[in-house]
Amino acid sequence: MSVENLKAYIESGVLELYVLGDLSSEETLQVEEMAARYPEVRAEIDAIEQAMEQYAMQNAVEPSADVETRLFEKLGFSDLEEQEEVVSNQPVYTEEPKIIRLDGSDGKVRTLRYALVACVALLVMSVAALFITYNKLNDAHSQIASLNLDKQKFAGVVSKLEYDNKGLNNMAEMADSKEWATIRMQGQAISPKSKMNVYWNKKDKSVLINYVAMDLPKADAEHEYQLWALVNGKPVSLGVFGKADSTSNEAILKMQTIQEAQAFAVTLEPMGGSVNPTMEKLTVMGGV
Amino acid sequence: MTALKKSTLTEPELVLALQSKDQAVLKTLYSMYSSALYGVISRIITHTELAEDVLQETFVKIWQSASQYDNTKGRLFTWMMNIARNLSIDKLRSKDFKNSLKNQDIENNVSFVDEQNKVTFNPDILGVKQLVQNLKPDLQSVLDLVYYKGFTHVEAAEKLDLPLGTVKTRIRLAIIELRRNFN
Repeated sequence: MSVENLKAYIESGVLELYVLGDLSSEETLQVEEMAARYPEVRAEIDAIEQAMEQYAMQNAVEPSADVETRLFEKLGFSDLEEQEEVVSNQPVYTEEPKIIRLDGSDGKVRTLRYALVACVALLVMSVAALFITYNKLNDAHSQIASLNLDKQKFAGVVSKLEYDNKGLNNMAEMADSKEWATIRMQGQAISPKSKMNVYWNKKDKSVLINYVAMDLPKADAEHEYQLWALVNGKPVSLGVFGKADSTSNEAILKMQTIQEAQAFAVTLEPMGGSVNPTMEKLTVMGGV
Repeated sequence: MTALKKSTLTEPELVLALQSKDQAVLKTLYSMYSSALYGVISRIITHTELAEDVLQETFVKIWQSASQYDNTKGRLFTWMMNIARNLSIDKLRSKDFKNSLKNQDIENNVSFVDEQNKVTFNPDILGVKQLVQNLKPDLQSVLDLVYYKGFTHVEAAEKLDLPLGTVKTRIRLAIIELRRNFN
């Protein structure tokens, strides 16, 4: 290459582009070839490079210090191992908050466990209280039942007393009265110990019997007593009555009216009474 | 100035140590050239965090591809600077960078856009007022596009609506101007 051609080559600007890295790989190879062959080209390139280096130095900007630290950390250089350890320790430290967080949830679990225990204890106490209450309620129920029984007993006693009282009052009244005639009937063959009173009103001829003022053997379920009046030797039925301890509250029972009678008698007859008295079953009898 | 930090190691010594994976030399290299390289990077990428990321990547690449450096083809600094410029331009065209733009607030964005569109240097950033004054604006604009904006000279010709030859000439003239200033 002639001197003129070489000068033209140098002045073409291709060497500047070479230094700036603005050439294709093919062009780059050409420049390198030229530089190897011609010291002038080499020198020119060197001058351009130095100029650009100077230019860069003049325009230098200081990066922040931690770029260097990070760089050598990244490359893992030996005298930065300590720093690396600190860095590698950091995950351990950052794990600690995790442990604390787990502790926190442990605390939660513990709290829940306490709550569960408390709940179970409460449940047991509730069941116990319920059981005790249930027992007390049962006691109360049985007390109420027994009290009711007592009450009924007393009521029974009271009604019996009232019943007896009525009968006794009536007996007293009858005894005092001049209006009423009391006919005492005495026990006959089948029941010598029996006795019974009949009260006969002299004015209106009504007849009463008093359960309190009678002592007859207990009649069975198929029989009841029948009161008769003997009128001129003929028996006239005055009605039937139950056994002495009748469930009826009335101690006094009104029988059929009879105008005249010489005697009264009671026989034991089948239920509902008979038309004619069964003489074999004559229990008591008494004359007026 | 950072240039004064230069240690007594000569370039061949640096290269030898670097290629034999001497960890200490990378630190020397960093203290010598990090700010010069960052000067280039931070003018291409104005976002500080991203620019610092690129600086870190640059030194990682220098360390990892040291064996590829051939001192017969050029100066060590030229090689390093081209790594820095290429990584910066890659970053500028990457998703990361576009995302970071979105994350900037309006105020920063305005200044950023200004910065991006500016063809002349901000003297405060540059710190070499004299240089700006000495370099003619039409020379400066071409150099900026290629040196700081990652344009190829073909793209710069399109951008400035100039013939390709004119762009090449202006780049050469600008660099000759710089050489005259420094020598």
